[in-house]
Amino acid sequence: MDRTDAAALVQAAADGDAAAWKALVEGLSPLVWSVVRAHRLSDADAHEVYQTAWFRFAQHLGRIREPGKAGAWLASTARHECLKVIRSAQRLTLTDDPRLLDRVSEEGTPEQSLLDAEEAAAQSERVRRLWQEFEELGERCRQLLRVLMATPPPSYQDVSAALGIAVGSIGPLRQRCLRRLRARLEARGAM
Amino acid sequence: MNGDRYDDDPHDHDPHDPYDDDLSGEEDRGEEDRGDEEFDAGILEEELRQAAAVLDPVPAELQQIAVDAYALHDLDARVAELTFDSLVDALPVRGLTDVPRMLTFRAGEVTVDVEVTAQGLMGQVLPPQPARIEVLGGPRPGSPLMADDLGRFTGDAPPTGPFALRLRTGEAVVVTEWLRA
Repeated sequence: MDRTDAAALVQAAADGDAAAWKALVEGLSPLVWSVVRAHRLSDADAHEVYQTAWFRFAQHLGRIREPGKAGAWLASTARHECLKVIRSAQRLTLTDDPRLLDRVSEEGTPEQSLLDAEEAAAQSERVRRLWQEFEELGERCRQLLRVLMATPPPSYQDVSAALGIAVGSIGPLRQRCLRRLRARLEARGAM
Repeated sequence: MNGDRYDDDPHDHDPHDPYDDDLSGEEDRGEEDRGDEEFDAGILEEELRQAAAVLDPVPAELQQIAVDAYALHDLDARVAELTFDSLVDALPVRGLTDVPRMLTFRAGEVTVDVEVTAQGLMGQVLPPQPARIEVLGGPRPGSPLMADDLGRFTGDAPPTGPFALRLRTGEAVVVTEWLRA
């Protein structure tokens, strides 16, 4: 979501336009979710942090100084709540959620029903392998890529807010992490 | 804010390279010299994006909660900002596992101190004054509490998940910043 759009939607939502709010949620929800997922919280914690970020955003709507940076605002709020979860050690549960890896083969997806069975199997196997190699990347690369893969692609400002790394270092790190991912895939003969 | 995980991750292999990962040895080091070459990172990133949309999308019911959260938009209430959170601002107490979470919120001259334990929550409005308090857990109406003449209040159920307090004092409505208990 670009800044002009975000600023206009925030303004409209603050003025009482529920459709504008819905558009904000639809446009920025994947970013918030990516930030939460990047921090490897348990599902329960992930849900709570996601909600907290949106509740606080709703609460501050109309008071946000730079409405064009709504994405960065949400990403940063989500990040700080994630770090708090990680700090409160009692409630920390690391997730190497194997269900994520199995989900394609177990449940299938709407997309797959459109493909014929054989093609779907090949495609889902490819997606599964890609995801598996991604999950096994070093923690920082995994984190960076998880945020970058939000839909629509987040701006580097948003990524910076989400992970607390300088905007200028995101491009080179991104190249590097994607190279590493590709190297892993090649090593597995998956590309 | 000093919670920067980039400085203290125990899994670091190379302290000078926080993005170092587990790819072993020569192959890993060599690739840095290859520079950006012709590799189209954008294609791989897009594949990841599609994979995430299939394998790890925002749960629909969760996104609906965010849509419903519009009801929390309330321009008439003052927001009491979080000014102290023991989780961030206090040193951990060694050996104690059930440490209460101490929170302070401030809106202008009104301060709200809150202590959250496994047993419930208690707190005080300052300057001392009676208040009607609602413990919110989301866009639905919350459970009511009363603060006595000294501004003290207790609730016998600890908030779980995101929560905020809405306080009605004589003249004003104050809502504490949402956070996760």
